[in-house]
Amino acid sequence: MIWAAFASEWTKLRRPTLFLSTFVGLAAAASLFVVLMFSQASPHGGIVTLHQLAQPNGLVIGVARAAMLLGVVAFGIAASQVASEYSLGTLRQLLVRQPRRAVLLAGKMLSVITFLVLALCFAAVVALAVAIVAAHSRGVATSAWFTGTGLGDMFRELGDLALATIGYSVLGMALGQFVRSAVFAVIVGFAWLIAVENIITRIVPSTQQWLPGASILAVASGGAEGVGYGHGLILGTVYLVVAIAAAMAVFLRSDVTA
Amino acid sequence: MTSLRREDDLCRDGHGAAGWVTSVCGMVMGQAMYRTAGRPGGPLAVSTAGLTKRFGNRTVVDDVALAIPAGSVCGFVGPNGAGKTTTIRMLLGLVRATSGSGTILGGSLTEPATYLHKVGALIESPAFYPQLSGRENLKALARLGRLPLAAVDPVLERSGLLARAGDRYRSYSLGMKQRLGIAAAMLAGPELLILDEPTNGLDPAGIVEMRGLIKSFADDGITVLVSSHLISEIEQICDYVVMIRAGRLVHQGSVADLRGTQQAEFLVAPEHDADRDLLARLLQQAGCTVTPGNAGGLLLVEAPGAGPADLNRLAARNGITVRQLGERTRSLERAFFALTGTKSADVPDGQEMGAIR
Repeated sequence: MIWAAFASEWTKLRRPTLFLSTFVGLAAAASLFVVLMFSQASPHGGIVTLHQLAQPNGLVIGVARAAMLLGVVAFGIAASQVASEYSLGTLRQLLVRQPRRAVLLAGKMLSVITFLVLALCFAAVVALAVAIVAAHSRGVATSAWFTGTGLGDMFRELGDLALATIGYSVLGMALGQFVRSAVFAVIVGFAWLIAVENIITRIVPSTQQWLPGASILAVASGGAEGVGYGHGLILGTVYLVVAIAAAMAVFLRSDVTA
Repeated sequence: MTSLRREDDLCRDGHGAAGWVTSVCGMVMGQAMYRTAGRPGGPLAVSTAGLTKRFGNRTVVDDVALAIPAGSVCGFVGPNGAGKTTTIRMLLGLVRATSGSGTILGGSLTEPATYLHKVGALIESPAFYPQLSGRENLKALARLGRLPLAAVDPVLERSGLLARAGDRYRSYSLGMKQRLGIAAAMLAGPELLILDEPTNGLDPAGIVEMRGLIKSFADDGITVLVSSHLISEIEQICDYVVMIRAGRLVHQGSVADLRGTQQAEFLVAPEHDADRDLLARLLQQAGCTVTPGNAGGLLLVEAPGAGPADLNRLAARNGITVRQLGERTRSLERAFFALTGTKSADVPDGQEMGAIR
């Protein structure tokens, strides 16, 4: 039954406007970060040095730095996919055909997550291709990228990014379920991830390791200053479990009047 | 009413203004009576007991006991805000009842999954994904309900949308959107079809088309529950009616029975306007209630237990020639107002007769 909900949701996700804008948009965002990284790199400092880019993990540095942007986009798309069912009024149609609400929400979550992870993978592949071109244009040696260590770093980083995308997607869908408005969900989510967490962290630095956005970002980056990878992974998982449970509880109990 | 003799068959009687009298039977037969409602005691498609829904302190549906016969075309009538849509949402499992119980197609109201696979529904305005085509929208619903995708085109064809099925939903006219909603409701091959205000926003041609569609569903043996605030609309397509007002059930039963409870009302006009007052007085003396009509010297006459021939005979006996004599249709609208203790004048300003809102 979850498969039916999953397949149904994919019928909607496949629509050209959403599909192209998501895949091309994420690829463009990741590529932009890579281009900026290579164009701003200098021999002795700046955001990153040319020497760092020539290291085995140099291939994925740009993509990793784009994690926050990719995550915010994934969050917005996921939130709007859930909330728009309320604003369009389509939820009532869905619930007549699939009255088991837990099945419907689970199928929807799985399909949106797979959609966004696939979009991320596509973006990463494009960005890595752009990185190779950019490396040649800046004279950065790429031989270390394709060693066993380099490829291992690449796959580990892509795995972390995929985990982070799942995290952002689930948080987005949970928020969309609570606020039931695509626009409001996106505004609230963006404000929290981009502004509110930063402000809280600046005022009380010790809170950083307990914030959901910072935890997921730490996973995406393979660990961050103030938030270790393992800590981020565990705390992020806890946040996701709580978000899914809360979204389910609200969805199962609420009257559908939209 | 002693001076009037009951006489239904004017032709046999041989008196009066032949050709002017329209019998109740003739009026009813002139309307679209599509099917016969399920017999009393027959199987029920929908039955509820004490169905109640409260939002906070506001009771929207109050102790409603529905008994809708299987195979009927049931009109669900009430003003806007009467609780029709909330009741329908409870039947569809979208809104949880505060109290009460019910059975739909043999499944419990508390377990919608046991019966919704046999139910099709159009709830309020149709809602679909604007950027998907009509066909893709239906495919999404078919996949969700684990229905064969091959079922999509036949329902599109039946609803007259097949030629535009590949166009995006957002390019559809309101009538086409409504037809897509009907197609979606038909997708599962339902035994019960619930249509909430299906003619909302449609032009006259669209309303006629919708009536035709509902008739065809009924002909296929599908139980149809159609809600509307337009009593005249319900009157034309339904053989069973449920009336609700302020969340409470006012009446339910066959349309024919409800019409039968209505007192006959006649429009009478004497040949000469000068005779109007005399005729009115004579009728009042005979026990009729007489109200001046709007134009043409017409009198509106409520004549309990009397027929048009009786009125004509009374006039002729007193030397008055009747120019016009006809019976007003025993409408559900009048029945509704009678049952709720309201009058058509109670309809808020700006709203036409035939529509209670």
